[in-house]
Amino acid sequence: MLVLSRRTGQKIVIGNEIVIEVVAISSEGVRLGISAPTQTSVHRFEVFVEIMEANKAAAGVLDQDERSALQDLSAHIRSKQK
Amino acid sequence: MITINEREYHYDESHILNFAEGLIGLPEMRRAVLIPMEDLGPFSWLASVENEKPHFVVVDPNDIFLDYQTGAADVTDAPNMRTLAIVKISSDWKKTTVNLRAPIFINPETNDGAQMVLTDGKYGFEESIPQE
Repeated sequence: MLVLSRRTGQKIVIGNEIVIEVVAISSEGVRLGISAPTQTSVHRFEVFVEIMEANKAAAGVLDQDERSALQDLSAHIRSKQK
Repeated sequence: MITINEREYHYDESHILNFAEGLIGLPEMRRAVLIPMEDLGPFSWLASVENEKPHFVVVDPNDIFLDYQTGAADVTDAPNMRTLAIVKISSDWKKTTVNLRAPIFINPETNDGAQMVLTDGKYGFEESIPQE
């Protein structure tokens, strides 16, 4: 891992388009400003891990019980839509 | 052709969706198809066409949740943008949850898709299906 020292107002550039600025430093923590292209997603790492785990938990083959649960669920929703 | 849960589905190459960044934590999910479950509406499969894995049960959240709002997350201004949410099936259907916090947007004009994270904190990753 690359480790750099930066002061308030100083920046780091990643690739050609992503710029990270140290906006403020206090005893509470560091505030960072991030400029990135709109198609680049930026997340707090903890949130990223949560979504990643949610995605992984939902991916995959359904077993017999889950398939019949899906049938019940479908019937439930369609009965409400009527 | 693609096999999901031992069942074969045909798809047209022109219907392949492109996820430039994959899904979050699943960068391999770049080319996928959306296959409606004819007998299990309103659900669909979202399945990778690269190796048939991963695949997900997805649903338009508006079919289940009243007044679902994604706010400014659908940054692109495509008028017909579709919204999907990943469903986590439980063997007890009442425990099935829907990820409303990180919906998938699909632009039907370009077949481009992306998963976004809503930042307003209104919705969770595991929202229960309304029972009433």
